Amino acid sequence: MLEIKNLHASVDGKDILKGINLTVKPGEVHAIMGPNGAGKSTLSNVLAGRDGYEITQGSVTFQDEDLLALEAEERARRGVFLAFQYPVEIPGVSNIYLLKAALNAVRTHQGLEELDAMDFLTLVREKLKLVKMDEDFMYRGVNEGFSGGEKKRNEILQMALLEPTLAILDETDSGLDIDALKTVSEGVNALRSADRSIVMITHYQRLLDYIVPDFVHVLSDGQIVKSGDKELAKELESKGYSWVHAEGPAA
Amino acid sequence: MKQLNELATPFATVAESSDLPGQDLPWLQALRQRALTQFSTAGLPAKKQEDWKYTSLWNLSQHPFTHQAVESTVDAAQVEDLALLDDAYRLVIVDGVYVATLSQLDDLPVGLTVCPFSASLDSVKQQLGQQVALDKVGLTALNTLLMKEGVMVHVAADTVVDKPIELLVINSGATADLATHLRNMIVLDVNAQATVVEHYVGVTDGVNFTNVVSEVVLAEQTELFHYKLQQESHQAFHIATLAAKQAAGSQWHTQNITLGGKLSRNDVHSRLEGEQSHTTMDGLYLLNDEQHADTHTRIDHLVPNTTSNELYKGVLNDECHGVFNGKVIVHQDAQKTDSNQYNHNLLLSRGCAIDTKPEMEIYADDVKCGHGSTVGQLDMDQLFFLRARGLDDVTARSLLTHAFAVDVLARLPSETIRQALSAVIEQRLPRGEKS
Repeated sequence: MLEIKNLHASVDGKDILKGINLTVKPGEVHAIMGPNGAGKSTLSNVLAGRDGYEITQGSVTFQDEDLLALEAEERARRGVFLAFQYPVEIPGVSNIYLLKAALNAVRTHQGLEELDAMDFLTLVREKLKLVKMDEDFMYRGVNEGFSGGEKKRNEILQMALLEPTLAILDETDSGLDIDALKTVSEGVNALRSADRSIVMITHYQRLLDYIVPDFVHVLSDGQIVKSGDKELAKELESKGYSWVHAEGPAA
Repeated sequence: MKQLNELATPFATVAESSDLPGQDLPWLQALRQRALTQFSTAGLPAKKQEDWKYTSLWNLSQHPFTHQAVESTVDAAQVEDLALLDDAYRLVIVDGVYVATLSQLDDLPVGLTVCPFSASLDSVKQQLGQQVALDKVGLTALNTLLMKEGVMVHVAADTVVDKPIELLVINSGATADLATHLRNMIVLDVNAQATVVEHYVGVTDGVNFTNVVSEVVLAEQTELFHYKLQQESHQAFHIATLAAKQAAGSQWHTQNITLGGKLSRNDVHSRLEGEQSHTTMDGLYLLNDEQHADTHTRIDHLVPNTTSNELYKGVLNDECHGVFNGKVIVHQDAQKTDSNQYNHNLLLSRGCAIDTKPEMEIYADDVKCGHGSTVGQLDMDQLFFLRARGLDDVTARSLLTHAFAVDVLARLPSETIRQALSAVIEQRLPRGEKS
């Protein structure tokens, strides 16, 4: 499904990713952990297609296509979803409008008819329940005046509606209190399926108590230095990131 | 080089030859004479005048305009297409001429008078010209000299008008290089309430010159919702002066949307003369190509306890040029004034430019006033967010631009009018692929 090979990326001439290798198969949940400045957000931005990153080496293949050759919107339509660490507020664009435009962009790409207003609303209401959001949120500007938790729930709502093949969750746990973390995690867990892969990027082990990954990778200084199962996260939690630094890059 | 006032003499000579209304009214003839004297002295404003620093009328003064319209072929179906509102009292002016058959003024409610300016000269006698200064801008003098048609709206005391009144001014393009000088009077008597839309639209992309002066007189405890939508041809010259006098407790909400015109200039002025009076003065200029739009606003707080809110937004693309100059004057007696004024601009291209200058002059010491202006570009984080949700770049940019622009409609109470204006704005934005 997703294959990252020897990926190098730089910003303003500064190398951030220095040879990432990662293979994600359908239905798998991977957690990528690492200290600040390790390149976690760069990796998610590069995968989602944000401008401003130069790929200097390597490749990313998504469902047999060269992902890096696609525009951000083309990736989204093919089923790549980035849940943002800091979801932007867009006053003047209603949430419901965004959801409809986004869903129709995906459906059009898939050769499906656009949903009519009634079917769309029925679908949205069903997904709202999943993330415990009130319908009022639909008619406000995108994330406008939302609390941190509401913004993250809104991200998961979009994910639920768009049903991506690959979801990248960038620090989805940051800024969440324990109740919001539970709600968001339940939403994500409900979306786990055999044909949907999830890459979770996080600084803390805490999220992994709620969304249990199949694999855990440690990102440090632009490289994956260690990979394992969920036990690796616990080890990290107790020993700290300096532990993997000391051990050096994985062979 | 010839001076601008010399170049303006062709306009002045028209007064003698044309069939202006009210030739038999001595008071009007006297007013026109004063205007002629004033215009002959001052001519058209020149760039050396501070208020006209960024806007040159050179091309206007050089253009050979005609004041005689040939018959146009605008029909009822076209009027329906062009009108902003379906359900409204409507007065239609085509190429400077009132067209009764295209207007909808049959079922006016008791207390409401809507009629063509040319047929209401006696009734406007007391107030005509009282809201505008003849000597300030040559164009007002020119308008007074040559004013021929327009709308007169009068709302009697205690009348709440049930439907909006739309003045639809159509430039059909049937007469090339047509100049029209329109005068509108909107008068609300005590405790009256009404909604008036001034709507200027060009059918072809020909050159024309619209010079309009609208005067608004608000008695005590009145409320006027006033919208101006300018969709003239991108070759048109559109010069508009809009001025209101407000008595105690009156509320004037005016929205000024400029989409058309090669060169447009709006002067909007309110005088808060009675306590507890309020002005909302909002506007939007959405420009592209080589359009030039200049907005000058002025709010005079003259007595204690008055309020004003002003928000103008600009969206500029291609090689266009926008000018905003907003002046709020809090006079010495105007204690407890509460006023804020903002101008925000979105630049979408490298070639466009904006000159913005919000100004406040405060001569009272117990007031609450704020003002500011910004100039910026689309937010790249917002843009990426939308694209990461599958919207193509053009659609995402249009959506963000629309969101920025329609913010000026937020204070508008009528959902119908807001949607109509929002749709008009949306049509002006670039379209992406279907998403």
